[in-house]
Amino acid sequence: MDPILAEIYSTILPSAPYVIAAYALIWVALLVYVLMIMRGTKKATAQIALLEEEVQEKLGKDE
Amino acid sequence: MAKEKKPPVLPEAGQWPDKVAPVALVAGAVLTTIGFLLTFLWVPPVVGASVNGAALIGDSMVTQQLLLSQKIFYFHMPVALVSFIALVFAAYYGIRFLATRNARFDACSKVAMEISLLFIIMTMITGEMWTRFEWGVWWTWEPRLTTYLILMLIVIAYFILRNAVDEPERCSVYAAVVSIVALIDVPICFMITRLIPSSVHPVVLREGGMTADMGICLAVVLVGMLAVGFALYRARFGQVRLGQRVEALKDALEEN
Amino acid sequence: MAKDYAKATAVAGRPAAPSALRQFSVLLRKDLTQEFRTKEMLVSMVVYAVLVIIVLGVALSFAKPSQEYLEVCGGLLWVLIVFTSLLGLNKSFSREKENGCLEGLLLAPVDRGAIFLAKAVSNLIFILLVEVLAVPLFWFFFASFATPAETAWLSVVPLLVGSVGIAGVGTLLSTITVNTRGKDVMLALLFVPVVFPLLYACVSATTATLLGGEVFAATWTVSLVLAAGYDVIMILAAWVLYDFVVTA
Repeated sequence: MDPILAEIYSTILPSAPYVIAAYALIWVALLVYVLMIMRGTKKATAQIALLEEEVQEKLGKDE
Repeated sequence: MAKEKKPPVLPEAGQWPDKVAPVALVAGAVLTTIGFLLTFLWVPPVVGASVNGAALIGDSMVTQQLLLSQKIFYFHMPVALVSFIALVFAAYYGIRFLATRNARFDACSKVAMEISLLFIIMTMITGEMWTRFEWGVWWTWEPRLTTYLILMLIVIAYFILRNAVDEPERCSVYAAVVSIVALIDVPICFMITRLIPSSVHPVVLREGGMTADMGICLAVVLVGMLAVGFALYRARFGQVRLGQRVEALKDALEEN
Repeated sequence: MAKDYAKATAVAGRPAAPSALRQFSVLLRKDLTQEFRTKEMLVSMVVYAVLVIIVLGVALSFAKPSQEYLEVCGGLLWVLIVFTSLLGLNKSFSREKENGCLEGLLLAPVDRGAIFLAKAVSNLIFILLVEVLAVPLFWFFFASFATPAETAWLSVVPLLVGSVGIAGVGTLLSTITVNTRGKDVMLALLFVPVVFPLLYACVSATTATLLGGEVFAATWTVSLVLAAGYDVIMILAAWVLYDFVVTA
């Protein structure tokens, strides 16, 4: 390869891992937050199921 | 007080913003993807140090090194802006809370602060990667870096503070106050670290001036990131509200 | 205006509430009397300052005495001040809390702004008193390293400006953290980042006075103006927000 071309492109390859890492980590951060939201929703849904059971029990007692 | 003031509309999951949120999510995903493609395929690379000579690439003569690392900037800056906008909203809802003492606004403030923290972390990551490659170090006391470190520390302290107060009302008041203090403190921090010339470290200036291409690319990513942030905010807010309603139901059920 | 108010309240059969200035001076005197009776806080702050100086001495024990030392010296002085004031700020409110004094104050018709100002001024006085002892001590221990420029005495100004800001912001934050679990750590967590800009400006101004010459001309004014600006903005904010914090 032409030495001048090589020099022009010289920083591209060494910087590639950092650029890739920067973009990948952005998506990882977003993903982690979405997972946090999903986990919270799941918890709340599980608790709603428990509440439903309890309400059923109470209704059964009253009758 | 001649006229009875209309009670403020409380933010709640399922109001009009939640109808916009899915659209925003799709728009955000599409725009950030377009921005990503523009960044790497459309915007010409920024040039750095001169080389000894010139070479023909495509149909133009190039006499300087082409930089790939600068591509980080197209996501770094929008993300940083979104984090600051989220902080403004957190403080805004903090003020609303202090004015109305309604826990709903506190929930809004807290979620906005979470979004702010998320985007601050993304800003720090991208900034770190760029710093590491361009300056060869993981950390340097440059105004922008310093300001964001301080902002991150305040926001982390905000969440630790929330966990350290037991009474809910008191916790909300303190959190609101800290969110307002954070909003005031951060611009001052940036100004002071920027205006005082540091004698020890060289002042690093990012090459100023943007071409129209760069501006378009940045704008696309900025709008996309704002949409993503908004969609995440609504999703988290809906989830937090769901949890609160379940808790309230539980309490009501136990009383009977 | 004040007379009308006094008359109006007198008609209602109650003694007129004392003016905000009087409330302020009474509160301030209360704080000072309380402290000078036991000297608990001042003594612990001074002892702590000496300990910080010893730690700094260890940290510098392998450094060669040279003029370059002046570049770090201003910063080290502020390390001393920040940690010592943190200790004092922590103590100043936990005492009010333990005695139930704060609740009594809030029950009385006292202006909240007066409470803030009294507390901030008493904190400022304590910090300044400790500085009067600690700063000469600092020079005593570290003077052998290098001779500062002739402008060194001007470092009194950033010390004063910095102490005002530390007392103002610290009063707000310590009122917040006194009601939290693990309050000592919590105060440090909030205080250090919030006070960071002030610290940066003050270190810059102090270093400028020590180095003198070109550095002094370049950074002295801008650092002091920025530090003073921080003081004004943050104390105003703290003053406004204090009402919410103290009644929460």
